[in-house]
Amino acid sequence: MSKGAYKGPLERIDDYCWRIPKSYKDGMRVDGLIYVDSTLVDQLCSDQAPEQVANVACLPGIQMASLAMPDIHWGYGFCIGGVCATDPEQGGVISPGGVGYDINCGIRLVRTNLHCSEVKPHLQHLIDRLFSSLPCGIGKEGNYHFKKKELKKLLEQGVPFLLNRGLATELDLQRTEAQGCLAGAEPDNLSERAIERGAKQCGTLGSGNHFVEVQVIDQIFDQKAATVFGLEQHMVCVMIHSGSRGLGYQVCDDSLRQLRGAASKYGIYLPDQQLACAPANSHEGKHYIGAMRAAANFAWCNRQLLLWQTREVFSEVFGRAWEHLQMFQIYDVAHNIAKFERHAVGNNSFKKLWVHRKGATRAFPANHPELPEEYRQIGQPVLIPGDMGTASWVLVGQPKSMEKTFGTTCHGAGRILSRTAAVKEARGRLIDQELLERGIIARAQSRQGLAEEHSQAYKDVDHIVEVVHQAGLSKKVARLRPMGVIKG
Amino acid sequence: MYEYFDHTADLGLRITATTFEDLLAEAGFALFSTLVENLSGVKPQREVTVEIVQANPVWLFFDWLTELLFLFESRHLLLCQFQIQFCDSKMTAICRGDSFCPKNNLQKHEIKAITYHELKVEQNEGNWIAEVILDI
Repeated sequence: MSKGAYKGPLERIDDYCWRIPKSYKDGMRVDGLIYVDSTLVDQLCSDQAPEQVANVACLPGIQMASLAMPDIHWGYGFCIGGVCATDPEQGGVISPGGVGYDINCGIRLVRTNLHCSEVKPHLQHLIDRLFSSLPCGIGKEGNYHFKKKELKKLLEQGVPFLLNRGLATELDLQRTEAQGCLAGAEPDNLSERAIERGAKQCGTLGSGNHFVEVQVIDQIFDQKAATVFGLEQHMVCVMIHSGSRGLGYQVCDDSLRQLRGAASKYGIYLPDQQLACAPANSHEGKHYIGAMRAAANFAWCNRQLLLWQTREVFSEVFGRAWEHLQMFQIYDVAHNIAKFERHAVGNNSFKKLWVHRKGATRAFPANHPELPEEYRQIGQPVLIPGDMGTASWVLVGQPKSMEKTFGTTCHGAGRILSRTAAVKEARGRLIDQELLERGIIARAQSRQGLAEEHSQAYKDVDHIVEVVHQAGLSKKVARLRPMGVIKG
Repeated sequence: MYEYFDHTADLGLRITATTFEDLLAEAGFALFSTLVENLSGVKPQREVTVEIVQANPVWLFFDWLTELLFLFESRHLLLCQFQIQFCDSKMTAICRGDSFCPKNNLQKHEIKAITYHELKVEQNEGNWIAEVILDI
């Protein structure tokens, strides 16, 4: 089914940036810029992801360029790793495809005061307890159910709703992107189906590439930033990867349905119907924005409850309160979202733009007012998950991200093998046994899912991180390796 | 008949049948077979009726799979038998299956959504063929 290799133009700008000129196809309003190095460029052309970058360049109100990060791969409408910013005052659009089905899928990282040598003797028990305590996999309901009225408050308020119920701390909130709440959420814009799907799923992990992983800090690259973030070598951390679950998927689905005729109604040319969109200031645009914000708030609450349950397990296994284990949040980032942010637009002027990040992470530099006070001197933590067999990373946002990519960097390793190809590659192999031989304990609901998620299915995360580091978008702070992981 | 095809991040499903009713039935079976192993082992003990009014076969196919996914998510139903009839643009499907039980039904994938991405429903030389990409 794949349409095969991209055969359009790619011009090298520098060692870490390639351009698709806007002359490539009719309708392109700006160039496409893809942040890869010369090794990744060959892989880049193996599917139609660059064509999707060119298509996004056709969207009304798009500013500067249609962008993509080095973990780029083929998606729906927008590629994964795609970034674009639109100006509503120039008829700029909002596009659900530029956010994705899993609204506010993202990453949370929590530290502990445990040395890896203290955890190792208890690791099997810890992973088993996490696997049995955290709802994961298909058809699983969460341990927290919310009646419709309460759920609507949660959707409107985000993590502060949980703070008021003793399920979050002030520090958790402060160290979450947007403090765990996008203002302007409109829960009434959600369908009954979305509400029904969300009512019993808050605090569940999901499946696919979602995970809760116990990690150890393997290497520190920037001691100053690591100290500010509270990271030390050999420290055990926990990384959580999940999103807005069925509620978010339903919001996206409903929105795509509602936007079926919008492009035609507003006279918008779409080279790909998957780029369904509407002017951000239109009725349809505002409706999606209100629903998307509600779903984003749900996702932050989802990760908050996953963290709360993780803390309970650690407390049980290690026999002391999580506060005594210093299980404090480092940060939480979204990597599928659209945010209304103030950015420079040339001639030293600033405007508020709709920044779409689809498989891309915000990476604000030092002194940005949105950062928590304790991080403002150094910049925003950027959390990059690897696959379950390699490494994850903590980076820090850099000034060049504001200049080049609307304050954005990569989000992960990016797939190179399809699921069917990954399963074929894994045939005859016991992936969990292979990981165990490397000292990594993996528990998963689905053996097939494990086979689809093995390391060879993904690009090399170290390489991806090196590209964004060299491009000046975000700087390496610490590398973390997995000790144990649970997957749905 | 159904088979999977390659997509970098997700799963492509290709279904073929001789009639449109059979295409929908096979697509339903394929969808639930993507969720769990050994769908054929599920007993048809529960029944639910699905009605969709839609003249366009592509949108009907899409709405059908979306509805089935919602039935799994909301009511935890695993459906394995589908009896489909049309009266003009109105489709009525009597679907049979059983409740999902994690201990008995081994999980394969979580399907986040049915996507519009390269969605195709066509008739070619008497056979119906559909292709859809499932967001996993």
